[in-house]
Amino acid sequence: MSEAMDSIDVTKKGAALAAAEAGRFDALPIYKPEIECASREDIRALQLEKLKETVAYAYERVPYYRQKLDEMGVAPSDIQTLEDVRKLPFTDKAVLRETFPFGLFAVPLDDIRELHSSSGTTGKPVVVGYTDDDMDMWSECIARLVQMAGVVPGDIAQMAFGYGMFTGGFGLHYGLQRLGCAMIPAGSGNTERHIQMIEDYGTTVLVATPSYAMHICEVGEKMGYDWEKSPLRVGLFGGEPCPPGLKAEIERRMHIVCTDNYGLTEVMGPGVSGECLAERYQQHIAEDHFLWEVIDPETGEPVGEGEMGELVLTPLCKQGIPVLRYRTHDLTAVHTEPCACGRTLARMDKVRSRSDDMLIIRGTNVFPSQIEDVLTGIEEVTPHYHIIVETRGGMDALIVETELRPEAFRDSFEAMDALRARIAEKLKGTLLVAPEVRLVEPGGIERAIGKAKHVDDRREK
Amino acid sequence: MTVSQISVFANSRPGHMNRVLDLFEGAGVSVRGFSAADTGEYGILRFIVDRPEAAMEALKDAGCACVVSPVICLKLVDTPGELSRVMGVLAKCGINVVYSYSMISTYIVLSTSEPERAQALLADEPVELISQEDIARIVAERAAKEA
Repeated sequence: MSEAMDSIDVTKKGAALAAAEAGRFDALPIYKPEIECASREDIRALQLEKLKETVAYAYERVPYYRQKLDEMGVAPSDIQTLEDVRKLPFTDKAVLRETFPFGLFAVPLDDIRELHSSSGTTGKPVVVGYTDDDMDMWSECIARLVQMAGVVPGDIAQMAFGYGMFTGGFGLHYGLQRLGCAMIPAGSGNTERHIQMIEDYGTTVLVATPSYAMHICEVGEKMGYDWEKSPLRVGLFGGEPCPPGLKAEIERRMHIVCTDNYGLTEVMGPGVSGECLAERYQQHIAEDHFLWEVIDPETGEPVGEGEMGELVLTPLCKQGIPVLRYRTHDLTAVHTEPCACGRTLARMDKVRSRSDDMLIIRGTNVFPSQIEDVLTGIEEVTPHYHIIVETRGGMDALIVETELRPEAFRDSFEAMDALRARIAEKLKGTLLVAPEVRLVEPGGIERAIGKAKHVDDRREK
Repeated sequence: MTVSQISVFANSRPGHMNRVLDLFEGAGVSVRGFSAADTGEYGILRFIVDRPEAAMEALKDAGCACVVSPVICLKLVDTPGELSRVMGVLAKCGINVVYSYSMISTYIVLSTSEPERAQALLADEPVELISQEDIARIVAERAAKEA
């Protein structure tokens, strides 16, 4: 390690990224080291204390939980260890819908400072409310994760999420301001204006969905914008899962470092966990605010340490809506060994699939993320794809549409069909189901500004 | 002496060829000959134009998948046996003709998904539809004139 790096001032813009590049993760700033680097014992003790309070609070203030716990014969005083969380009922999205709009709120609306709702991609929206303390905790969680991504006070952050009811826009906005960044609230859309503002205002941080960041990248390239000379250094992604191939491609083409974070409206919004620069495939969970469990989605029983299962979250001491054991339907595994970045907070594998995203095709389980992984490994096509499932002659037919890169085009049906056959062969090797591959013109697959919709299931029900 | 053929990858869907033609029009490029072949789901559009560089630039700016390749362009005398004579020259030398199409003719052939409806639509437009009888008549008239 060089002498110069030892004396590096990581509070300077860009210095954190340089330190990470040099492998000096220990030199990176940490927003709240007393929590983020606490011992596992201290974290667990804090979680237990807060869990007891949370259950008592929910029992006292939310009729739904009081009735539920009474029915199950569980009293708040039965929570004596962290494992006792299993005595509590699960909460599913359906509960939040049935109690729409304010049925689960634990405080009168007088004490609520902000309402948000989920994007409703899978049904009616779910509405959530935040008290002053909730807002404070939320913005702190986000300040921590943006610092984890190498952002420092003084960075200029441009918002390319839509604001509105979506938690991502305001969540990141508050968290970046909390850290000490200047916010440019551009919002989503008007891509050329985004690029102009990056150049004019010297934007160093871009907040976007990965699909939209890719779109900004492509539009910039078409405009002749030189991303290498651009002031932009960090991409903060969210709103949809970010496949590693897409992230790597954006990093290469835009010359930035990109991280993504995890969260969901029902428990808070973004900020539940975030990616550090040392471990790029996992995210540190804000364990002082969220108790996590990983369960078998079928049985509801815990899976073994470090095994894959459905993530269940209990926000700790959240005042607006104290949700108990929220079933995320997101599949992940959680690891508790310390991280090279110095944090001791548990890390969850990035969520690549949901228990309810799974497609069953001719009896075989297929996840869209598997298709994405195969396609990102094939250089003739872009990472954009679309999946269609149809019924043909009583059988399931899987169709994968993938976008040809302009430079991969050959003026020969033979060459193009050979490419199709090679992609189909690779997909079959991973999925164990033979798909039909369709090549689509460059730009022919719709770019989503919000959540990208990848699957079109047209099967006869 | 070869000419530059421009090939474009296009999905076999309404409007996709039109998009390419609009790009040419915008760039002031004149199409002198073309062919469109498909596999059912995607196709390759091939064009001979007056300004291939301008055409390629317009296509690339629009993000199209396109390539230029050299092809041979011949002008035949319109007499029976002429096509066979020219093809024979290449065949004797063992050169395979992968595909061929004719250009600078305003007679064009279209194969569509709905022939009846397409014909009815075009019948209302200021464009001349050619019947099988018309083709036979043109050949017969020419033969009579030459006799």
